[in-house]
Amino acid sequence: MIINTTILSWVTFIYFGSAIFYIFKMVTGKEFWGSLASIIAFIGLIAHTFGLILRWFESYKMGIGHAPLSNLYESLIFFSWTIVLLYLIIEWRIKSRNLGAFVVPFAFFSMAFASFSPNVNARIQPLIPALQSNWLISHVITCFFGYAALTIACGLGFMYLLKGLEKGERPRLFFRFLPGREIVDELTYHSVVIGFIFLTLGIITGSVWAYSAWGSYWSWDPKETWSLITWLIYAAMLHSRFVRGWRGKRMAIMSIIGFASVLFTYFGVNYLPGLHSYF
Amino acid sequence: MKKIILSFLSSLKLTITLLIIIAVASILGTIIPQQYEGGESFRHLGPGLVKVFNSLQLFDMYHSVWFIILMGLLSLNLIVCSLNRLPASWKLFSNIPSPDRSKPFENLPPDRVLLIEKNRNEVIDSVENLLTRKYKRIRRKDTASTTFFYGEKGAYSNFGVYIIHLSILIVITGAIIGSLLGFNAFVNIAEGESTSTVHLGRQKGIKKLDFTVRCDKFSIAYYDNGMPKEYRSNLSFLKNNNVILQGPLLVNHPITFNGIRFYQANYGSIPGGQANITVKKGNDEGTTIKVKQKDSFFLKEKDAKVKILRIEENLMSMGPAVLISIQTPESNMRFWVFKNIEKIRDSIPGLFKKVPKFNPGLFKPYYFKLNRIESKYYTGLQLSHDPGVSIVAIGSFFVILGLFITFFSSHKRLWVRVDDQEGKSRISVGATSNKDPVGLKRETEHLLRHFSSMG
Ligand code: HEM
Repeated sequence: MIINTTILSWVTFIYFGSAIFYIFKMVTGKEFWGSLASIIAFIGLIAHTFGLILRWFESYKMGIGHAPLSNLYESLIFFSWTIVLLYLIIEWRIKSRNLGAFVVPFAFFSMAFASFSPNVNARIQPLIPALQSNWLISHVITCFFGYAALTIACGLGFMYLLKGLEKGERPRLFFRFLPGREIVDELTYHSVVIGFIFLTLGIITGSVWAYSAWGSYWSWDPKETWSLITWLIYAAMLHSRFVRGWRGKRMAIMSIIGFASVLFTYFGVNYLPGLHSYF
Repeated sequence: MKKIILSFLSSLKLTITLLIIIAVASILGTIIPQQYEGGESFRHLGPGLVKVFNSLQLFDMYHSVWFIILMGLLSLNLIVCSLNRLPASWKLFSNIPSPDRSKPFENLPPDRVLLIEKNRNEVIDSVENLLTRKYKRIRRKDTASTTFFYGEKGAYSNFGVYIIHLSILIVITGAIIGSLLGFNAFVNIAEGESTSTVHLGRQKGIKKLDFTVRCDKFSIAYYDNGMPKEYRSNLSFLKNNNVILQGPLLVNHPITFNGIRFYQANYGSIPGGQANITVKKGNDEGTTIKVKQKDSFFLKEKDAKVKILRIEENLMSMGPAVLISIQTPESNMRFWVFKNIEKIRDSIPGLFKKVPKFNPGLFKPYYFKLNRIESKYYTGLQLSHDPGVSIVAIGSFFVILGLFITFFSSHKRLWVRVDDQEGKSRISVGATSNKDPVGLKRETEHLLRHFSSMG
């Protein structure tokens, strides 16, 4: 195994530890576990970044240099990286560690799927002609930052719904440690806005790439169509908030539905009949 | 009646319903195979269902009448909504409210009011200075005991939504122009050959170009691990037999000629490439000849007729091979001659016993050797002419701009009142914003800090 994949599979365990401690924090309400989880996640992010850079270098040493954004393995690794990066920025901005239990597990799952699934090839491969494009790089980066923000929105949606389970005047168990509903709702909205803008940029950069590689900026192939569906779902969600003033539970549910659509765009599309059987 | 239609077209319920219907229809479109994928894949649905689907145009959904109606309704909805709201937004933008309103100062929290140890005349100049530096469209009004100021910023933020919606209409317009006036086509051209007719996509027949394309050469480069690295067609574009443009066409690097973009989309080899083979006898040098499929030659000593039956680029994943038949007056045999026969023999022990047909020395005392196959390629080109592209690009750019304006700017309005207070001054700051309450709070606090440093 090459060094970068070894480092990256270690990062998987680091995120696992971090996720566990975030869950401890949520259940016990003790700030100690939260700090520990944050520190571990931060160490994980540094190692993760190092692993990505190393992978980049290794590809150049092999004479097939390219940014590590070109196949399923690399995209999963990058997805996880954007989730943790964005999450830690948010944690630092809102000064609250409650969200970690709902977000860091996604980063762990993505890493674990990349590192341990037999269907995911971790080798550094050269770029086939269709992928030799700078638009591809901007496409992948914008899409995955968008996906990461929408992942966080989904985590917030789950948090909101979990909070909704509490009953009675004095909340029992860990419910009382969760932040107030308005805050969660507001954060969900902001994450969806960020995600939506990146998603829009992702669709546009993807079209530019398609226009230079395939001769058509839009050809209704399943992946394109599903990205449009996802976009429409979030557009409907934002409009129902702006104009109809929907808040709270409905937003939480829509952020989860939207995220399911993101996941389908990312993975599910491979099971549909495709148009582009390309080289 | 007119009113009902207008209010239907301007309702956001319609927007959300349409967005959801289009999303669901698009899901259908990704499940039901669409026309351009060839008729084979939906045979299994059964003739009854196919008929129903056909009449609903479900096999070419994105170009069907009802999908276009949905998109048209969405555009109409967008236009009517925008026209409806525009006057109100314009008023918000162009009318500057008077500085001496009392509403902004109602229920003002105590931290928005300052008492300064200077009289009013000393204070108002620096207040005005600060406001003019930070805000636009400053208005001032003086009364006997009070000076009022109004300032605002980000008034344009009210138009972000219109920019988004208008740009989406522009994108749709560009797409319509492209589908009405543009075309997609493909053509395969063998090396050395030229053509000026191409096949239109979606089974619309053929099209004659007013120039000729020639493929001079097609080549593939590979990485060390065997993955393709580059597909390259050397193309020439001719008018009246004069070469006007020449260049290599690579994937991701289309060539534009006469407003038509050419893409490297496909390739293949043409049956009937040439095989370069050597016929040896014992240890002699042998003779090397080039043969095509169906060629034959004689081996005089044995009175044998050798015929080339097939030439394969890659037979059963074992590389290039040719099938040879040999007829003599006494016998008749066929066998394969592989290029990589040594490797194949080493990896399968006892190969020639098991499969005599793979033995290139089957016809003793001769030994056949395949040196290489010189195949001839054709290149598959995709052509596209789309006059709507630049419109779509401009629209997309403004969608992004509109998104940034809508979500990252806000219309902040500020009222400042300076009252005489027995030789001192009292400054009150009231502010409103159409969104971003956090930013508004930060800004007013900043302003208040400045004011309090004056005293
Ligand atoms: C890029 C994504 C979009 C964003 C960010 C966006 C934003 C908005 C906002 C903020 C409003 C509320 C305006 C207000 O109340 O001040 C709005 C209203 C509306 N939007 Fe969008 N929009 C987007 C795309 C679309 C699309 C694709 C359509 C469908 C064709 C659409 C149709 C409408 C309609 C019909 C209204 C209602 C206007 C009204 O109630 O008067 N929007 N949009």
